[in-house]
Amino acid sequence: MTDDRIAGLLLTQEIASFLYAEAELLDERRHDEWLALLADDIRYWMPMRRNVKYGDTTREFTREAEDISWFDEGKETLVRRVRQIQTGIHWAEEPQSRITHMVSNVQLLQVTPNAASAREVIAKSRFLIYRNRVETETDILVGKREDTLRRSDDGWLIARRKIILDQNVLMTKNLTFFF
Amino acid sequence: MSDPINVRALAVGTRVMLGSGAEVEIIVNPEDGVWLFARYLSSADDPAMVGTEDMIFAQDVVEIRP
Amino acid sequence: MPMNATRGYHSGLVDLTSGQISREIFVNEDIYAQEQERVFARSWLFVGHESQIPNNGDFFVSRMGEESVILCRDRSGAVRVFLNSCRHRGMKVCRYDDGNAAVFTCPYHGWSYGTDGALVGVPFFREAYHSELDKTKWGLVPVAQLACYKGTVWANWDASAPPFLEHLGEFRRFLDLILDGWDGREGQAELIGGVQKWIIPCNWKFPAENFSGDTYHNISHRSVDLVGAGPSGRSRRDYNELNVARKLHVALPDRGHQTITYALPKDHQPQAAYQNSPEVAEYFRHCEEERRRRPGSNNRLMGAPGEIFPNVALLPRQPRTLAVWHPKSAHETEVWRFFFVDRDAPQQVKNFLRDYYIRYSGPAGMTEQDDMENWNYAHAASRGVIARRYPYTYEMGMGHAVENYEWDGLQIPGRVIDLTKAQASEEPMRNLYRRWAQFMEADSWDELMPWRHETAAQAAQ
Repeated sequence: MTDDRIAGLLLTQEIASFLYAEAELLDERRHDEWLALLADDIRYWMPMRRNVKYGDTTREFTREAEDISWFDEGKETLVRRVRQIQTGIHWAEEPQSRITHMVSNVQLLQVTPNAASAREVIAKSRFLIYRNRVETETDILVGKREDTLRRSDDGWLIARRKIILDQNVLMTKNLTFFF
Repeated sequence: MSDPINVRALAVGTRVMLGSGAEVEIIVNPEDGVWLFARYLSSADDPAMVGTEDMIFAQDVVEIRP
Repeated sequence: MPMNATRGYHSGLVDLTSGQISREIFVNEDIYAQEQERVFARSWLFVGHESQIPNNGDFFVSRMGEESVILCRDRSGAVRVFLNSCRHRGMKVCRYDDGNAAVFTCPYHGWSYGTDGALVGVPFFREAYHSELDKTKWGLVPVAQLACYKGTVWANWDASAPPFLEHLGEFRRFLDLILDGWDGREGQAELIGGVQKWIIPCNWKFPAENFSGDTYHNISHRSVDLVGAGPSGRSRRDYNELNVARKLHVALPDRGHQTITYALPKDHQPQAAYQNSPEVAEYFRHCEEERRRRPGSNNRLMGAPGEIFPNVALLPRQPRTLAVWHPKSAHETEVWRFFFVDRDAPQQVKNFLRDYYIRYSGPAGMTEQDDMENWNYAHAASRGVIARRYPYTYEMGMGHAVENYEWDGLQIPGRVIDLTKAQASEEPMRNLYRRWAQFMEADSWDELMPWRHETAAQAAQ
């Protein structure tokens, strides 16, 4: 194998490991450690999806920073969401939900400047989030994520997360958890 | 029996032959894959149709004219 | 015919003498089936906003109760609302959320309808039907009545219902608070792109009564108040109207509409708000000033949550939204939330408000999340045969409402409870369920318009 291909493999594995470790923090409810993985200028965006005619792809998604979306925010709001859970009186998450993030299909879409010395990576992955709360209340949410990851002195940071949920009418009563 | 034609993709101005032998020109395509709005260019069965506009059902379209 | 206070829903399920309401009206599937006929099939329902269909041929697929309808601007520019169901075998003729169409074509057998609802295309009309089908009788089913009011579109399946504005009555001024510009100019509201739609596991009346003016449940939002989601980063909202205003419950008994509202003093000075963003703060300061200059009583009202009977909730402040509680089953509701901004507000202001709306409202809203948890488990815990034996109490503030309320020269319509000290009352909920019970009992709209009989009686004297 050439050095380039080995570097690519190593980077893919490194990014996948990062995403798995991130999921572990969320599922273990280690939210403060999770927040530390988010860049201060993070964009966290989850558009809504419309049923549109074949080929009308631009109108399928609500637009970031223009339309209403499920999420369209930065770190300040994400921190507040974590703090809200941590009050212990955020009734939508009290008692806390049991959540598992399955992350798969990790692909690197873009590497800057190159795999051997990557500073920034755009990685796509699939998620399957299982949430079970109180007694039998269960939600399963499946979709895609496109993350921009930035290398910092402390390791990788999430600089942007675009979340594509495969639903039109949201079939879960609330979104009190993170994708 | 000709192969089915996807009328959804046909551009305005396209001329098509119908099962009746008539030839029509598409004036509006609603892109529903089921109907075309067209003008009759010829109609052996009923010459009075020539020049009139009508909705054409996809199953009646048998051939796209070059 | 006046309402008989001892009959059916009034005596057994909605008892306004004792202020008790049976849990059956929330969880009983027979009652749910009846209310589809008696409430939703003859009430004015919100279907959308004209800014969603600016051009001829534009459509937005909406709902009325359980049913799918198409809101459409036809080829001549007229606004139309039809049942989204082919007249031949019932298939939905449109399964897109919105768009522009020349015709609505059924994918099943190919029947096709014009944007005015007329049946225009029938496959093999000459051959199979021998040209005998009367196409004029088989157009898409139109609503019986349709009303456009300051951009909003409302529809009703019942031709005998009163016109929309008569149904709205004096509640119009509270709807105006959301549809007029923040500076008081008429009809300045513009819909932000994207309607939030999601399913909540509870009867539609839980959110309907909550938005009728439940100021008692503030404690359930303690967590968001603690961490702050408001426009200035603190609490949930800006504006400390309580310092200067009267906080009121307003209920229109013969209409079933009710709201919280703030009455501002004559010499009211706007409160500082939106302090995190100087541009936004300046915009609202400017608008408040303009608004106070404009004549009319509305410049002394500050909006707050309210409900237009039966299933439309108003949030005329920030976040400025309108929600529809579409019944889905006795135990499920599909919420549609529409978000508004002033049409000609600077883009920066629109962006700021949109960010705030999303973090406040909807399934990801830090405030609304807790509401849905409460409605979910209140509903679930009321379904059992034992639970159903025990009614809910709505007696808070009974006998304390006044009519002809006036404060500092400002007259408020309907029955009013001053909450400035009382904090809460259940007058709005009693008002909602009184009207609901009337709908469930009345055999005709004639019985539901007591105001017309009063007018007729006055004329006769």
